[in-house]
Amino acid sequence: MAQQHEVEIIVSKTGDVKVHVKGVKGKACLEYTKWLSEVVGKVKDQKLTSEYYEPEVKTRINLHQELKTEQ
Amino acid sequence: MSAVVILTPVIIGGWPSIMAAVAGAASALGLVVKEQIKEELRQEQAVEQSVEVELANSEVIAQNLATDKEIVLVKGDVEIRVGRDERGRCRVCVKSKGKTKADMEQIAEEFSQKMTQCFVYNRVATELKSKGFQMVNEEVMEDQSIRINVRRWVD
Repeated sequence: MAQQHEVEIIVSKTGDVKVHVKGVKGKACLEYTKWLSEVVGKVKDQKLTSEYYEPEVKTRINLHQELKTEQ
Repeated sequence: MSAVVILTPVIIGGWPSIMAAVAGAASALGLVVKEQIKEELRQEQAVEQSVEVELANSEVIAQNLATDKEIVLVKGDVEIRVGRDERGRCRVCVKSKGKTKADMEQIAEEFSQKMTQCFVYNRVATELKSKGFQMVNEEVMEDQSIRINVRRWVD
């Protein structure tokens, strides 16, 4: 199932950037912050919020097929 | 919520990206582009006072850019020159006949900040687009910061 990833970016008057990644659970959110730090500059401060510690969503669908033969 | 990161900008770019930021800052602060000149053609006037500010975390990529290129902006009796110094850093020089040194320092600081903000905004907007993000909202806040909300769907 597709997940919605949201990012809020605030570019301050002085050019400092605050990035808030929402809806991304686990370490995947750090990929966004890493990518944006490569784009913008140096990491000044980083806070991980509760969602970071939630497990990443993984969905497994098991398909079961039965073969019936008419007797 | 997942993660909140605060980043300090580093301006690294070619002259076109610097020019775009300069144009953005000039437009926001009511400055007009006077000319793009080369150092050897410049005629300094001794009566003017000047203040120079160097953007510490900046690097203008040297490709196709000689150290003698710069852009000149004007507003009233204030002239701002943006260029690249010998070390490759971005330099902002403010000149005025009527302003005090403190006034010119403030103008230089204000322009440098606006230019940095424009550079970062352009860079982030381009990167977000290339990563397939859709713009949800964009607004300039009361404190002059720019807030961008984007989203994308991931399988």
